[in-house]
Amino acid sequence: MLTRKTSLILTAPAMALLGLLFLLPLGYSLVWAFRDEELGGWGLQNFIKAFGLYSRDILFTLIIVTLSTVIIGVLSIAISGYLTLGENRVAQAALRWMYRWPLFIPFVVAAQLMRTFLAKNGMMNNIIVSTGLMDQMHAVSYLDWRGIIITFVWKQTPFVALLLAGAMSSLDRSTIEAARNLGAHRFRILLEILVPQAATTLMVGLILSYVVMMSVLSVPLMINAQSPTMITVDMAWRINAYSDYGVANALGFISYAMTAVIAWIYLRQGVREGRRPA
Amino acid sequence: MTHKTANLFASAAVALFAAGAAPAEGVLNVVSGGSQNMVDYVTDYLGPLFEERNPGWKVNVVGTGPGNAGSQAILEKIKAQAGNDKWDTDVVVMTQLKTGEMVTEGLLQKYVDDIETGKLATRDTARTALGTDVEGFVMPMFHSQTAIAYNPDVVANPPASLDELKTWTAENKGAFGYNGIKNGMSGVAFTAAWMYAYAGNTEQLINGPYDPALKNGWDQALADLKAFNENVTFTPGNAGTLDMMNRGEIVMGPVWVDMFYTWQADGRLNPNLKLLLPEPGMPGQPYYYAIPAKAEDADAARSFIALATSPEVQAEGIVKRFNWYPGIDAEHLEGSLESEVWDKLFTDVTPEELAAKGKPFPLGPYFDDMREAYELKVTN
Amino acid sequence: MTILRAAPVALLLALLAFAVLGPITNMLIWSVAETWYFPAKLPQSYGFSFWERVFRPQGNAMVSLWNSVVIALFTVLASMVVAVPAGLALGRGRLPWRSFFLLLFLLPQAFPSIAVHMNIARIFYGLGLNGTYVGVVLVHTIQGLVFSVWIATAAFAAVNRELEEAAANMGASPFTVFRTVTLPLALPGLMASAIFVFLISLDEFTGTFFVGVPDITTLPLLLFTASMEGNYQIASITALILLIPSVGFMLFIERFLKSDVLAKIGS
Repeated sequence: MLTRKTSLILTAPAMALLGLLFLLPLGYSLVWAFRDEELGGWGLQNFIKAFGLYSRDILFTLIIVTLSTVIIGVLSIAISGYLTLGENRVAQAALRWMYRWPLFIPFVVAAQLMRTFLAKNGMMNNIIVSTGLMDQMHAVSYLDWRGIIITFVWKQTPFVALLLAGAMSSLDRSTIEAARNLGAHRFRILLEILVPQAATTLMVGLILSYVVMMSVLSVPLMINAQSPTMITVDMAWRINAYSDYGVANALGFISYAMTAVIAWIYLRQGVREGRRPA
Repeated sequence: MTHKTANLFASAAVALFAAGAAPAEGVLNVVSGGSQNMVDYVTDYLGPLFEERNPGWKVNVVGTGPGNAGSQAILEKIKAQAGNDKWDTDVVVMTQLKTGEMVTEGLLQKYVDDIETGKLATRDTARTALGTDVEGFVMPMFHSQTAIAYNPDVVANPPASLDELKTWTAENKGAFGYNGIKNGMSGVAFTAAWMYAYAGNTEQLINGPYDPALKNGWDQALADLKAFNENVTFTPGNAGTLDMMNRGEIVMGPVWVDMFYTWQADGRLNPNLKLLLPEPGMPGQPYYYAIPAKAEDADAARSFIALATSPEVQAEGIVKRFNWYPGIDAEHLEGSLESEVWDKLFTDVTPEELAAKGKPFPLGPYFDDMREAYELKVTN
Repeated sequence: MTILRAAPVALLLALLAFAVLGPITNMLIWSVAETWYFPAKLPQSYGFSFWERVFRPQGNAMVSLWNSVVIALFTVLASMVVAVPAGLALGRGRLPWRSFFLLLFLLPQAFPSIAVHMNIARIFYGLGLNGTYVGVVLVHTIQGLVFSVWIATAAFAAVNRELEEAAANMGASPFTVFRTVTLPLALPGLMASAIFVFLISLDEFTGTFFVGVPDITTLPLLLFTASMEGNYQIASITALILLIPSVGFMLFIERFLKSDVLAKIGS
């Protein structure tokens, strides 16, 4: 539909904005990642140091973010699936009213709320204890890796579900009705018809969530007291404690690499299948 | 787009350009690191007072957040406009570490000799910031101190020294909490206190000279700290320690004294909780008032700081209203303060204790070594 | 039979309600808690003193809120202006290095924001854009660009080509096809991205500090300091205040979507 020239013209404003306001300023600071202070030249010293000090944190970040992304995917498929295929109008309305609220809570506040909610003597355990399902002795704190995942899932599921529900609602209803008339179970319709057709949107939503979670500082900072912790905390630490932009930017590179590899695999996958993914 | 939407954007656009007009003359821009309290102090007390004494002036204050992170943002914003002739920030309020860096990079101006209150602050920290010579560049806004907060209902005989604390945590596993070193200065302060107690050469750590070989003798102290950490609960941040005390999950932990009082005043901490300074002492630091080298309204900035560091304001604003330790020498406040206000400030920690056990943070390079050694040998 | 089928649904909904609304209830309680500490499971006393603190006249909360909303609206506008054409080209066009372009837009999220914003501020100080609304809107637009571009691309890529071809075969010009078929079908995605960009702008802190301060202050600049240091009351109140424009914007978008789009699709 669009020629190569038109395509380039259409992307030009966005690229110009990104180039001038982001790539250029980033370039200034990025070169510091390859600076070797001790030798006074260029080198990979900062990357060696980053891996030496923070390899556990890098792995931890990868696991936390990947696990959260998977859970967010499952939950958002369930929510948007029920919003599209559910038969109980009341339940649908309740779900529609409810699921979006976390979207509007800023990360800083969400992290604070979760801190008082998930703690050992926090509100969640208090509620469960007062219903008699558990006694106080068995209350445990979730303020560790689990707390990070819970907060990420809480905050990002509505994001993906909102996108996915939108995509599912604009799909052609006739195939769904046909499958229904043939007696197909709703789970099968969801997994075999809806999800494949809305896969592009789902994947884009998940990749964007992945990117957001990689970059959030407040959640690991306020929730996770243990080590290992996430890369963003290390970046902030290198800058604030040592004014060490070299290692901080090297960690930024590593963080970007982890994102870009995932996004790249997804984009390649689409091309091989002859589709045009986002 | 509907008409309504178009109208909405049009009216917003008008507001945009109307409000974007150049600021009126006589606006003093203050950028403050540190807690929200410090911003509120300028918004509600110091700013209006300055405006009242200097008609035509308006004080505009913005907070950037606690710790070195907040001060780092100020430093970077000043650096970003280094090429301009006039800088848009007139007064900055920052931590020791970052003020020292700004002085080194030539981003601040000397002003202390030009103001009449300049002679009232004579503590070491008014002249050196973690080993960097900052004399003439800074006036302390207030002194902050770390101390151990504890719940006297649970801990009848709190440990009076780090040695006793070691024994106590071994007997009460998990009841003491601190925030490591990556997550806020109260944990860093505790670590520094530990090193002062067990690494030896305390005087040299604080006053120099710097000897890169000194860190090789820290292995035992760090190994002990690692063992000590087995018995403690880790908390997420300075606020995280107070937060866990709020819910009774820990009963003891290192805190900033001013934050501790804020949490009590805001109803988030039991008013019965107490503070103590264990032997051989814990570090504290002032927040500094400083003036950027090319501040647009440097004269107004000087009179603002002169007002802020006058005995009257230090007594009324810093000690009475906010329960902070004064930035200028305490003897100058005596005439301006009722004794009960003074006593309230020193309920838990007496002035003598503070003088004997309130220590500065270590010299800059030792401080770096200490943090990196902790990362390598305690966390890993 | 119906009860048997409704029971698991009700149970799941209750669990979800606990998970979603639990933390939010916590927030509502904290916003009016005056004293709340161990061992009390609920606040010992309630009141509005923290609301008074936030809205005291010298605190400038209303001006900052207004600034935040105006900036967010213009950020949405700016993002859409650049992201819709880019999304169309990346989703439907023939672009060399297409994947590479898309990957570039992921960059702004990965690096320590203070370093990048410091350099943006340096450029803006040179151009005289610091302390202007235009500058702040541009910085927020960059932050939101990954969302607007990626989502717009997905939205355009998902449009059914047969419908477009059908319209073209009936003699419609390419622009008419775009206006009557492609755009309406991509609109739900574009709307969603508008909502996200609005929220990102509303919560943005670092960029506003570097580019806006001291002339422009937004609500996050005024209140996030308190949130970061664990002032739960102020944090909760901040979130509640920001909820009003966020939900308002979403409802506005949804109404717009229902009336305008459905009408176009029907015609």
